[in-house]
Amino acid sequence: MAYEPPVTDYDEIVENGTCAFCGCNCDDLDFLIKDGHVVGVRHACRLGASKVMEDMDQRLLVPMVRDENGELQEVDWDTALDKAAELIAGSVRPIFYGWSETSIETMKHGIHLGELVGAVLDNQATICHGPSLQAVQNVGYPVATLGEVKNRADMIVYTGSNPMNSHPRHMARYSTFPRGWFRQRGRFDRTVVTMDPKYSDTAKMSDIWIGFEQNGDYGFYNAIRAALRGKEIDQDFVSGIPKEDIMELAEAMKNVQFGALYFGLGLTHTLSKQRNIDMAIEMLTDLNKYTKWVLTPMRGHFNVNGFNIFMALEMGFPYGVDFARGYPRYMNGETNTIDLLTRKECDVFMVIAADPGAHYPGGAVKHLAEIPVIQVDIHWGPSTEIADVVLPGSFIGLECAGTSYRMDGVPIYMKKAIDKPETCRDDEWIIQELHERVKKIKAKEAAVASK
Amino acid sequence: MKIITLTLKKKSQIALEFDELIPDKVFNWEKADFENYQVPVGNRRFPLTDYFDIEVEGDAASPEEVKMILDGDFGRVKYIGCKMSAGEIIVNGDADLHCGAEMKGGKITVHGDAESYAGREMKGGELEIMGSTREFCGCSYIGDWRGMSGGKITLHGNAGKQLGECLSGGEIFVKGDCDILAGIHMNKGFIQIDGDVTRWPGGQMKNGNILIKGKLGILLEGFVYDSIVVDPEIDGKSFSGKYIKYNGDIAVNGKGSLYLNAEKNREYL
Repeated sequence: MAYEPPVTDYDEIVENGTCAFCGCNCDDLDFLIKDGHVVGVRHACRLGASKVMEDMDQRLLVPMVRDENGELQEVDWDTALDKAAELIAGSVRPIFYGWSETSIETMKHGIHLGELVGAVLDNQATICHGPSLQAVQNVGYPVATLGEVKNRADMIVYTGSNPMNSHPRHMARYSTFPRGWFRQRGRFDRTVVTMDPKYSDTAKMSDIWIGFEQNGDYGFYNAIRAALRGKEIDQDFVSGIPKEDIMELAEAMKNVQFGALYFGLGLTHTLSKQRNIDMAIEMLTDLNKYTKWVLTPMRGHFNVNGFNIFMALEMGFPYGVDFARGYPRYMNGETNTIDLLTRKECDVFMVIAADPGAHYPGGAVKHLAEIPVIQVDIHWGPSTEIADVVLPGSFIGLECAGTSYRMDGVPIYMKKAIDKPETCRDDEWIIQELHERVKKIKAKEAAVASK
Repeated sequence: MKIITLTLKKKSQIALEFDELIPDKVFNWEKADFENYQVPVGNRRFPLTDYFDIEVEGDAASPEEVKMILDGDFGRVKYIGCKMSAGEIIVNGDADLHCGAEMKGGKITVHGDAESYAGREMKGGELEIMGSTREFCGCSYIGDWRGMSGGKITLHGNAGKQLGECLSGGEIFVKGDCDILAGIHMNKGFIQIDGDVTRWPGGQMKNGNILIKGKLGILLEGFVYDSIVVDPEIDGKSFSGKYIKYNGDIAVNGKGSLYLNAEKNREYL
């Protein structure tokens, strides 16, 4: 990495900005601003900083509609919004997907719109931490805030997660390195355990690495639980780990003062999916008979947890909420985006602050290419290539304020630092405007039907 | 006896929902009632006649006297026989999600494959699937610890993942193979699997019985060897042959029993 001299040429500093990248939601960022643009970011990791610094790279600036020749043409806001509203009002099985990179305030209007047309509202949890949410519904959730972990934890376990690459400041700011009230020496007072088939960057700097075999999670946690119940393990190796190591680990986990387990997609998306989390949570329930253990999912986007918390509060279900019959329904495999797309059921797809074109399995993207797609986003991406209507939004936490929820469920108000490009609109305004326009079309339809 | 025949003439890409077309609700319907009925499709309702030819024969004074015959590929018709308490439904083709979910009585026969959630939260009656089914057959609603609590599911083909999840009564009989985590979280009831099982049957089970006649891939550490039983009798049924009996899942202080065919699972002896 080449040396980069510190930025000294700036007009003003906006302090205590919030990072809009991963679920850590670091709220100690300083933005260095010159001529209405961010020229430097202090305290952020490279991922967070580059998202802010390269904000204008491939930025969507004007609304676009795809013409008969299949080319995106720049249009005015009225034309684009009318076209989108017309598509939504005429749909039979619409999906409004995304929401994880926008504010709670935008979601509020999304729920109104979804309820009005009978859509499926879903977010990125459907392809990441959905299994965690199902497991929480089954067996509960021993949760703690990141602050508690920083001040108290003397054992940190990362399982199926590689925060050194995906959440770079997680270890530095919350879990491993910071000095806490009861952990005055920081890293030296803590034991870090990584459970991951891969010898990841996190594993390299951990005290203990447990490289169990792929898809062996469920059997491995079951063996730890059996060991905690005092059973002498029969098999010599469980999921590729020698039985002595499992007994030793169970003993070590029992004898800490405060343990915290963080899990990522390595746990949620192996063979037994939600049952891995189910088992891990129950393992902590067992450990809580001896000491204090908590667990937190490593959420990816900065507001992916926000959508789940908001939906669970408003509609009773965290994600994949189907309003088709007029009331909210939730059923995995039936009301989730991927299933509806691979079954080719969805007929209009609106994506808000997400990139299904890049993240979805091939079969789902194939169907997306065949149906009308409305995109509300700030950057050009694979989803723009399959979009029929493009509505450029604004950058939450930089160009417009909004509320988001950190991975541990702490709400954070993200403040505005600079003005958005003149031709863009706030996500909140776009969704509200769509709602108004769809309402008008529906009212007209109802009037015709009654005559 | 009233025989209602629906013959598919156009398959919808968006799934139809049949939760209102169960014997309990349609036993006094005439042909005209079916023709006026609008079936839920996505966020709309469309006439049933768009999709099916309808024939109604005979009369019925109660749901018990109703026989519904669904001819054609019903692979995009959800909730067939959902919450029914009497009568009979025969599907001559595949069935979509939630076939026989929450049913209390009567009988459903599927002469094809059934999608996931077949027999979810079933309380009684009989569900027979001639083909295979996918995930969560005889399971609970997400988050509930009480799954299927009565009745019988017979699967002539294979079962998917998490068969009989949270089973709290009733019986599931699989003639084919079964994927991972059969009987996870179960607390009562009986699962019989004649074919092979990939891994981890009975994870976190509290009570109940699982019998596997085929070969097992991986057994969970939470199961403790009990004994070898010859010709065991489980739930009033007797089985011939030698079985290895395990108790578990001790991770949840479970008192369930897992019977493994000793002949085919010699490495566990």
